[in-house]
This record gives sequence, C-alpha cells and structure tokens, in this order.
Amino acid sequence: MTAVAPAAFQQSNVDYVAILPMLIVASAALVGVLVEAFAPRRRRHVIQVSLAVVGLLAAFAAVVWVAVDPNKVGHKGLTMGFTDGTTNHSVFALAIDGPALFMQGSIVLMGVLGILTMAERFGGVGPDAFTPSGASTPGSASESAAARAGALTSEVFPLTMFAIFGMMIFPTTNDLIGMFVALEVLSLPLYILSGLARRRRLLSQEASLKYFLLGAFSSAFFLFGTALLYGYAGSVYFGDLSKAVATGPLAMNGLLLPGAFLVFVGLLFKVGAVPFHAWTPDVYQGAPTPVTGFMAACTKAAAFGAILRLAYVGLDTARWEWTNAVVIVAILTMVVGSVLSVTQTDMKRLLAYSSIAHAGFILVGVLAFDRKGVGAVLFYLVAYGFSTIAAFGIVSLVRQNGGEATHLSQWAGLGKRYPLTAGAFAFLMLAFAGIPLTSGFVSKFGVFSAAIGTGGATGTTLAVIGVVCSAITVFVYARVIVLMFFSDAPDDAVEVVTPSMATTFSIAIGTLITLALGVLPSSLLDLADRASQFVR
Amino acid sequence: MSEPYVPILFMLGLGFAFAALSVFTSLVVGPKRYNRAKLEAYECGIQPSPQAAGGGRIPIKYYLTAMLFIVFDIESVFLYPFAVAFNKLGLFALVEMVLFILTVFVAYAYVWRRGGLDWD
Amino acid sequence: MTTRDLVFVVVGTITAVSALLAVTTRHVVHAALWLLVSLGSLAGCYLVLGQELVGLVQLLVYVGAIVVLVLFALMLTRAPIGPQSEISTPAWQRALAVVLGGATSALLAALLLPLLASAQVDLDRPETGTTQIAQAVFGTWVWPFELLSVLLLVALIGAFAVSRLVLHREGEAA
Repeated sequence: MTAVAPAAFQQSNVDYVAILPMLIVASAALVGVLVEAFAPRRRRHVIQVSLAVVGLLAAFAAVVWVAVDPNKVGHKGLTMGFTDGTTNHSVFALAIDGPALFMQGSIVLMGVLGILTMAERFGGVGPDAFTPSGASTPGSASESAAARAGALTSEVFPLTMFAIFGMMIFPTTNDLIGMFVALEVLSLPLYILSGLARRRRLLSQEASLKYFLLGAFSSAFFLFGTALLYGYAGSVYFGDLSKAVATGPLAMNGLLLPGAFLVFVGLLFKVGAVPFHAWTPDVYQGAPTPVTGFMAACTKAAAFGAILRLAYVGLDTARWEWTNAVVIVAILTMVVGSVLSVTQTDMKRLLAYSSIAHAGFILVGVLAFDRKGVGAVLFYLVAYGFSTIAAFGIVSLVRQNGGEATHLSQWAGLGKRYPLTAGAFAFLMLAFAGIPLTSGFVSKFGVFSAAIGTGGATGTTLAVIGVVCSAITVFVYARVIVLMFFSDAPDDAVEVVTPSMATTFSIAIGTLITLALGVLPSSLLDLADRASQFVR
Repeated sequence: MSEPYVPILFMLGLGFAFAALSVFTSLVVGPKRYNRAKLEAYECGIQPSPQAAGGGRIPIKYYLTAMLFIVFDIESVFLYPFAVAFNKLGLFALVEMVLFILTVFVAYAYVWRRGGLDWD
Repeated sequence: MTTRDLVFVVVGTITAVSALLAVTTRHVVHAALWLLVSLGSLAGCYLVLGQELVGLVQLLVYVGAIVVLVLFALMLTRAPIGPQSEISTPAWQRALAVVLGGATSALLAALLLPLLASAQVDLDRPETGTTQIAQAVFGTWVWPFELLSVLLLVALIGAFAVSRLVLHREGEAA
C-alpha cells in the first residue's frame, strides 16, 4: 500500500502550457459568468456568443501549439503532479498525450458548431431555443410573463463552456478521482441545459429530471467502483492500477472485478450503451434540439476518450477480467440501438436510437485492443460528431406554427419543397448508414477492420454483428429519405425557417466535413493514427 | 486519542438529560387546561392549511437559498483542513485556496448582481 | 471487547436501524429525519474509528447540507405530508426492493468481509490525520480540488438560471 501523503508538503509541478487549452476554456466560461453579472441585458447574447467562440478557437490554437510543439519543449507527457523524492513514486493528475490532445481539439471544434446552433434567434425577432424560466410550472402565468418580457437564459453559453471544460479534462485525467470530478463538471451543465427547452416544457423537465437521477446513479456506481479499485491497488492512478494487476496476485484480488465493472458502468452510461441507455431517447427528445446535437457529439467523444484511457492504460493488464462483459454490452448496444430505431416515429428519438447503435459500433473499435483500434475510434468520434451536430441543426429548422415538427409524418414531402435542406439531411442520413463517399463509411470500415485485424475471433464476431446491424439501420435511414422525397406533403405542411448565418455555417460545415472525410479521409486518418499512442 | 471526546460525550448526555427532565417535569407538575386555540399549530392565530399558499408550493426562491448554503458549506469543508495545516503548507497552497474561493465568489457576484439576494 | 468496540457497535446499530427506518417509513418527512439520524451516527462511526476530519465533513456536508436539500425539495414540490395510499409503493415493488437490497448487501458482505476480516489497524495512532489529508489535498490533489470550485460555481449558476422566475429589477444590471 502506498502512503496517502508524503512526509512533507510537496507541491505539484505544472506545465502551464500543456494545460493552457483547458485554462482558456475555463477562463472564457468564468468571464462569461461575469458578463452575465455585469453586462447590460440587451448586449449579453452577442457578447456571450462571441466570447465563447473566440475562447474555443483560442483553445484550439493552444491544442495545436501543444501538439505540434514548435519550440521542441516537450509538453506531452504527465503533468500536474510530482515524483516523491523518497519512494520514487509518481503521482500525476493529467496525461497530455496524443489521444487526449486529439479529443480536446475535436471537442473544442465541435463545441464551436454547438455554440453557433445554440445562438440561433431567427434574426433577433423570434425567440431562441431556451426558456427564460426553467422552474415555472409549464403553462403557468409566471412562465408566460417571463416570455412576454423577452427574458433570455443566456447563461446557457457559460454553462456549455463549463461542460466543454469538463469534456476536455475527461479523456485527459490520469486517475480515477480526477476522472470522477471531470465527469461531474461535464454532466451538471448538461442536466440543466436539457431542461431548458422553450417548447414542450413538460417533456423537457422530464428529460432533465430523468437524466439527472440516472446520471447521479451512474456517478455513484463509478465512485463505488473507484473505492473498490483503490482497495485493490492502494492507488487510484492508472499507472499504479495497471502495475498492481501485472505484479499481482494481491490479497485484495476479489475487489478487481467488481471495481472494474462498476467503473465501466459509470462510463458506459455516459455513451448510452445498452443496458444503460434508458435515458438516451427521452433526453434527446426533451432537450432543446441544439443542446441535443452538442450532447450527442461532444459527450460521446469525451466519454469514449475516457473509456479508451481506462481500457488501454488503467485496466489494460486486467483485460481478461472485463472484456467479456464489455463485448456483451457492445453486442446488445448495436442490436438494440438498430432494431429499436426501426420502430421510431419521432425524428429526435430516431436519431437517439441511431446514436445508441453508433455507440455500439465505436465500442467494437475499443475492443480491438490495438493502436489501430484507437485511431479508428478517434476518427469515428470526429466523423459522427460533426454529422450529428449538423443533423440536429436541421431538425431544429423544420417547424410548424413556430414549434419544431419532429414527428416523422410531418417530414413527408419535405424534399420536394425544400430540396437543399432535405438533400443535406438525406446526405447525413446516408453518412449515419455508412454509405461509401461519406465519413460514416470510412469510420465504420475503420473500426470493423481494426476489430477483425487484432480482435481475434471475438473481434470478427463483433464486426459481423456490426455489419448486420448497419444493414438494419440502412433501412431506417432509407425510409426517412423516401418519406422526404417520394411521398406527398400533407395539407398542413411544415416549413423550413431561414436560419441565421451562425446556424447555416454550422450545418454547412458539419455536412461538408461529412463529405470531405468520406472522399478524402486520409489526412485525418493519418492524424488519428499518429495520435493513438497513450502515455503512461 | 479518544480522551478529548469524553467531555463532549458527557455534555451531550447532560443536554439530553436536561431536555428529557424538563419535558417530564412539565408533564407531571404542569396544569392541564385544553382549549381549541391551544391545540392549533403554533398558537399564532392563523389557520394552518395543509399546503403552502399559491398552488401548494413554497416559492422556488428558497431553492436558491438552500444552494447558496450548500455551496459555501462545502467550501468551508476545505477551509478547515487548510487552516489546520496552514503552517506546513507552502505559498502554493495559499494561492490554490485563494483561487478556489475566487472561483466560487464569481458565482456569488453573479447571483448578487442578478438580484438573487433580494427578497423583493 | 474494548470500550471502543462497544461504542462502535452502538453507533453502528443506530446507523443501520435508522437507515432501514428511513427507507421503510411511509411518511416522507419522517424518512428525511431518519436519514438525518443515520447520517449523523455515521459521523459518530468515523469519530470512533479515529478519523476526525471525515466525521466533521460527514456532519457538515451530509447532516448539514444534504438533509437540508432533501427537506427543501419536499417543501418545493407538492409532496403530500402524510402517507398517501394512491402513490405509495405497491407490495410487490417493496418485496423486490427487499430482495435486491438484500442481495446487494449479501454480495458486498461476501466480497469484503473475507478480505478485510483479518486486517489490523492501530486506531490510537491513525496513519492519517487532518494535517496529512490537508497536505494530500493541496499537494497531490490540486487539480481535482480546483475542479471542485468550478463544480460548485456551475451548481450555483445552474440553480439560479433555472429558478429565476421573474425579471425582478433586471434593469439594475443595465
């Protein structure tokens, strides 16, 4: 057992440049809170949006700086800790390595698109996607009074920035305690954001409550698993954990399996893997649509980053203990996600089940246990993230009587009246299905070939099941496309409202990246491949 | 190790005994003259209602009060070990603590400026 | 059996019994108050085991803050005060809860008891006191510690952003 504390106080060594991307995002969020406190009400929205976008872009530049390291300082490696002089035992809270930087960079960029879709106000005359009074009873007098007064909840921008801050830390932490706090920092703003939809308040409040309760439950699982793993290894650092398993058998061997299992439950909940997926359809449907897109893309990326680190750095030596359980979860996730998406009649729920199926496909890549698998997962997360933000961005534009029209039947004939929007959506659907010349094909090909290459018989089985499930989902997406282009519009047809520059930009970028990664994937594939080495 | 707790336990016992004794004595020696007003809750003259006014819900403002209490309660949890070990901690720890408090006070400033502390 | 063992058994029994009462009572306010007793005596358990700081944190955070939050939650919702037959848990759910809770406890006991039954700790000279914990928090655990301040900030902002009902004196900020 390692001692809890060194004999004398020893302060942490911090490479401030290496953590600069996270510091920038946190400072931008803090300034955002101060803007909420001190800026005049009319200017807040503009200030918040530009502050968030500038902060995220600066953070991206910092990520690139740390990764490229033009001065050859060597920022990569462990930081935020020290090596004990007497025992020569290292305790470092953060691991700045390829996967971490890749995840940070992509989360920040997807965050920019997310913020831009959240900023939509339809020319400044229409209301935005967020309710001004989250706690009022739906339909009450105080709710309509707040709406009439033109109140805005511009706190959503700092809250989103804090969520992004947590998401950047999540795949970067080098110990279970830091991972837990990062999990909370990223989850708490999301619980609040998903309860703030302007329309269909009850649905939104239900989504928020459900997400919060189940999320708190899964956090408890994670924490309990952490305690058991600490009991096993006497340390919560991933390096020590891996070493303890390798040098075992220890007296506490019985704690390893339940500990690993509970920690995985906590993380698999966040990606919406079956059987921990129950929240996904309800929350995706109830949350404000721009928030759903942001959540689907960025939370998934961050959580898979954390799963990768746990599976490849912390519990890699204990792989035989937990692999079978995760394989079953992966199979269930793919099958349940794709089969249930067939029966959906609501566009947001359909995309939710699609995201569950995608989580299963990504898990297949995680289970390849190889650098190639890591690279494929990183690529998949970026490709899926940009497509899904664009898809939810389009969903938020299809409206009827001012509210979003999310029922599938309302989308009938959309392609004949709005060919451009429907065309972009159809293209994104093809990408989700994994049709060649879209990013979806390249990413699915990547994870499945990695699984076949190094996953052994299990990997091959998983890949076969994955391909079958993809085929099932093709049917779902094809049905949406047929509905949009080959059926007649009902009399009370929906309209596609004209969005602001920001939303247009983010939908266009998301769609273009989906196309670009499908046609010319090699540069990002190379980058993901080079970034796939973990530091210990 | 456990000696400092003996006086505390003694005080605790004394407190309980005093309370129990007072209640018991008033039961035994106090006069018992009941009327309707005395049986009402609080004896304040206002009719108790099963639910709070205005839809049976206490104003949501109280939630903010609870959250303010909890946030600063948790902050004080960290201040205690910091204060106990202050002499052994370096300047770095002081900076950490100041940063911690400043961060929480940003939220406090926000709540204050937006009227969260006014009780209309 | 030393005095310490005896005190621990007493405090531990109070903790366990009041926890059971908290989940079985049909009065929701009673449940909150039994929770208070349970969490408070758990702090006593920590004290008996020689961990003053943990006991203090338990008192401050759980007895002080969490129970306050539970009571506020009861007041803020339209929760009925007395037991209500139409919303009380059906018998089969209670039975299922007993089975599940019992199974989890049995599993944990089967796992932890054989592992830790023979462990020896000198409670009169505990390895870690408040000073050591402070050194660990401010030395090793700087990063999670500073993250916690962000978490508290987010909690407060989220609470205010959600609960703000009207634009009272919004003009002040202008």
